[in-house]
Amino acid sequence: MTAGRAMRRAAGRVDARGRVAVAVIGAYLVLAIAAPLLITPADLSAVGAPGAPHLPPSARFPLGTDVYGRSMLAVTVWGTRVSLTVGLSATAVAIGVGAVAGIVAGHFRGRLVAVLMHVTDWFLAMPTLVLAAVLTGVLRPGAGPVVLAIGLTSWPATARLVRAQTLVVEAQPHVDRAKVLGAGHWHVIRHHVLAAVAPLIVVQASLTVSAAVLTEATLAFLGQADPIVVSWGTTLQQARDAGSVSAGHWWILFPPGAAIVVLGLAFTECGRAVQRALRVGPWEHP
Amino acid sequence: MRPGGAAGATGGAVGTPLNLLEVRGLTVTYLTQTAPLPTLDKVDLDVATGECVGLFGESGAGKTTLALALLRLLPRTATVSGSVHLDGVDVTNTTWGRLRALRWKAASIVFQGATQALNPVQRVGGQIEEPILLHERSSGTIARSRAAALLRQVGLPPAAAGAYPHELSGGERQRALIAMALACDPRLVVADEPTTALDTVRQAQILDLITGLVTGHGRAMLLISHDLRLLSSTCDRIAVMHAGRIVEEGTPAEVCAGGRHPQTRALLTAHTRIRALRHRHRPRPPSPAGHVGVPVLAADDLVVIHPARRGRNVRAVDGVRLDLAAGEIVAVVGESGCGKTTLARALVGMHPPTGGEIRVDGVPLRPTGPWLRAHRRRVQLVLQDPGSALDPRHTVYDAVAEGLRIHRLRPPGGEPAAVAAALVRAGLQAPETFFGRYPQELSGGLRQRVVIAGALILQPRVLIADEPVSSLDAAARADVLTLLLDLRDRSGLAALVISHDLELAWSIADRVAVMYLGRIIEVGPAQQVLGSPAHPYTAALLAAMPQPFTPLAATLDGEPPRTSSLPGGCRFHPRCPVLLTGTADAAGIGHACRTVEPEPLPAVGPAVACHYAAAEHRS
Repeated sequence: MTAGRAMRRAAGRVDARGRVAVAVIGAYLVLAIAAPLLITPADLSAVGAPGAPHLPPSARFPLGTDVYGRSMLAVTVWGTRVSLTVGLSATAVAIGVGAVAGIVAGHFRGRLVAVLMHVTDWFLAMPTLVLAAVLTGVLRPGAGPVVLAIGLTSWPATARLVRAQTLVVEAQPHVDRAKVLGAGHWHVIRHHVLAAVAPLIVVQASLTVSAAVLTEATLAFLGQADPIVVSWGTTLQQARDAGSVSAGHWWILFPPGAAIVVLGLAFTECGRAVQRALRVGPWEHP
Repeated sequence: MRPGGAAGATGGAVGTPLNLLEVRGLTVTYLTQTAPLPTLDKVDLDVATGECVGLFGESGAGKTTLALALLRLLPRTATVSGSVHLDGVDVTNTTWGRLRALRWKAASIVFQGATQALNPVQRVGGQIEEPILLHERSSGTIARSRAAALLRQVGLPPAAAGAYPHELSGGERQRALIAMALACDPRLVVADEPTTALDTVRQAQILDLITGLVTGHGRAMLLISHDLRLLSSTCDRIAVMHAGRIVEEGTPAEVCAGGRHPQTRALLTAHTRIRALRHRHRPRPPSPAGHVGVPVLAADDLVVIHPARRGRNVRAVDGVRLDLAAGEIVAVVGESGCGKTTLARALVGMHPPTGGEIRVDGVPLRPTGPWLRAHRRRVQLVLQDPGSALDPRHTVYDAVAEGLRIHRLRPPGGEPAAVAAALVRAGLQAPETFFGRYPQELSGGLRQRVVIAGALILQPRVLIADEPVSSLDAAARADVLTLLLDLRDRSGLAALVISHDLELAWSIADRVAVMYLGRIIEVGPAQQVLGSPAHPYTAALLAAMPQPFTPLAATLDGEPPRTSSLPGGCRFHPRCPVLLTGTADAAGIGHACRTVEPEPLPAVGPAVACHYAAAEHRS
């Protein structure tokens, strides 16, 4: 398919910065998948923790122990799973809804489309954190409401961008030509619009993951996540509640914080690199 | 005193009488992703004060690059060497601040496409004031009055200052662009194909205006065009450009006398002369009995109305009857905005008609999915710009096979064989070598052949071509036109060619229909309509064609009225020379011209929608 071909050609043009970012994301993914092989449930038990609380880094616990006495290394590695799961599934929701809404709004005309764009604006105005707080309050706490909240508030940006690009493509004579050849909506969307919009979607997806990871950590830090599930945000929240900041227990605060920053940066850089490779949107001049 | 004048005086004091513009050894190379693209090669060119110099060459010769280089407007991907002295200042290495002062004040440019060169969201008056405010730091009131004076000079009403570009017609926009170029009283005006998109009447009007305003006021002009006759009738000197070099320079008489350079001769002979029978390619004898049998494509009292949000609806096509027989090429000619493109789009089913009927092989077209789908296998459209008519992400193979895939056709010999056959029919030999290539890698002429191949693969009965060659250079043009004739002769394909180019109609059309404000006003065999036009409008279009060494004559005044507010009576009467000179009144039909709308013409013709021509014919 033409969209795939364009993406493959672009992949060859990704620069060194982008390759580093992709490697970092790959490392996170490997860690998240391999985590159950390296860490047993006993390592993460808050009740039967392997060590004493608040131990500084040592040979046994290279990153020290957290407020319950668990190894910070194990906690941080395990936290990757939640961050990536929530980040990627929220992005899937946001990009899926956004791309479909954007293409539909760009391709079709009429009253329904106008309504759709108003709905988009309405969601655009909705604050993520407040919606998430409400959803977690109404539903049971866990990853589901967080994914839903991030997904529901991130799709309008994608929808707007995709709609704009769709309008640009459809104004071009080659779409007229396809219509004269007899093409229906589905053919125009699949063979002409999608190929032109795909790069934009990839860039947007990569940037959305980074935002979603940050939002997930923020929500957990604010206590809107399931406290039993080990994640970077909850670890930070528990550390703050236990007074780690004033006690100077930096080893509890630093690993999850750094993990969030590096993962967020990696996805942002990856998105920018694809953008540069495809020359879509405002890329940076060298 | 002008700052430029001071610089010129210094140049004179050193003892070298500097010309207003001196280009020396100018070489420009564009860096592209694949290989450097040399565009200008050691160009030397002088323009003295008060002189009008023509720059002639086909598209791609580097004319526009030269124009942009004069004010250092080239993109960053261009590497420039050599020098451009404008008013004594070397533009290529002067400071940024000095350059900004020179731009528009020493030299200004009338750009090619008036639509793109004007900002669509700013009023015309404001855009004319902008350079005045930038350069002279004068007050808003002064700038406004200057802008009003400029508008008056270019023949626009004062109200045009408050209009947005889309509210003006093509000719009016071009006038506004000229007013803009003159805003800072520049010493040199560069006009880059200022009239290419306009019909012959407006072309004559605009060139008349621009030469009067520029050379009449001691300014110099560099006029860029691909039409040698036009340059020979306006310029003092002509430079011929080919492949980035100036290959010849001389007076119009010298250049037109045959040209010393073989390239000039080749470009000269590429011109078509209307009424010259040898310039008609393979004409068919007109069948005196009109059409035999059912026409392949027929429009019957077709009306297309564009609804307007405010004001009155635009009647883009207003009662058109037109037949197309198998193996016939019909040209619809008319100025931009006359509704010919809307007619083409309605005929291929892209625009639902408001009234009337379209028939293919006698079967009326219904505006529902399956009917349209079937219609589109029989009637195909070839668009103006083959560059944008092909999806840059599709290979040639995918583009040509698209029609088959849309209609889920399985040709007997397999898809690759069908694609290859279509490419061969479109004149591309060794078709397999094109399969994997992308349109960007092909020249304009080859791309247009790919577009035609994509249309032919569905084995249509009719090709509708909207300005099929206007974006191509002379050689590619001839190729594509020959292809259309080949298709007509070999497979009996009918073609409707939409164009504002009368020469194109003369060279290939069997019949010509002239359109004015949504209606066909004259139709008949090409030799009759273009050879001895009966309608005053057709005659005016033909008389305004540029002739070598003859000053251009604007044969009509003013602009056509908007289709949203048609005049009563004959729609041409407010501009009709026959009526304005009193000839019609003398013949006793002036009243009819003003009050009675001529009947729509029959589909085949020859016929003319003019009271005066009809009365002449009777007597």
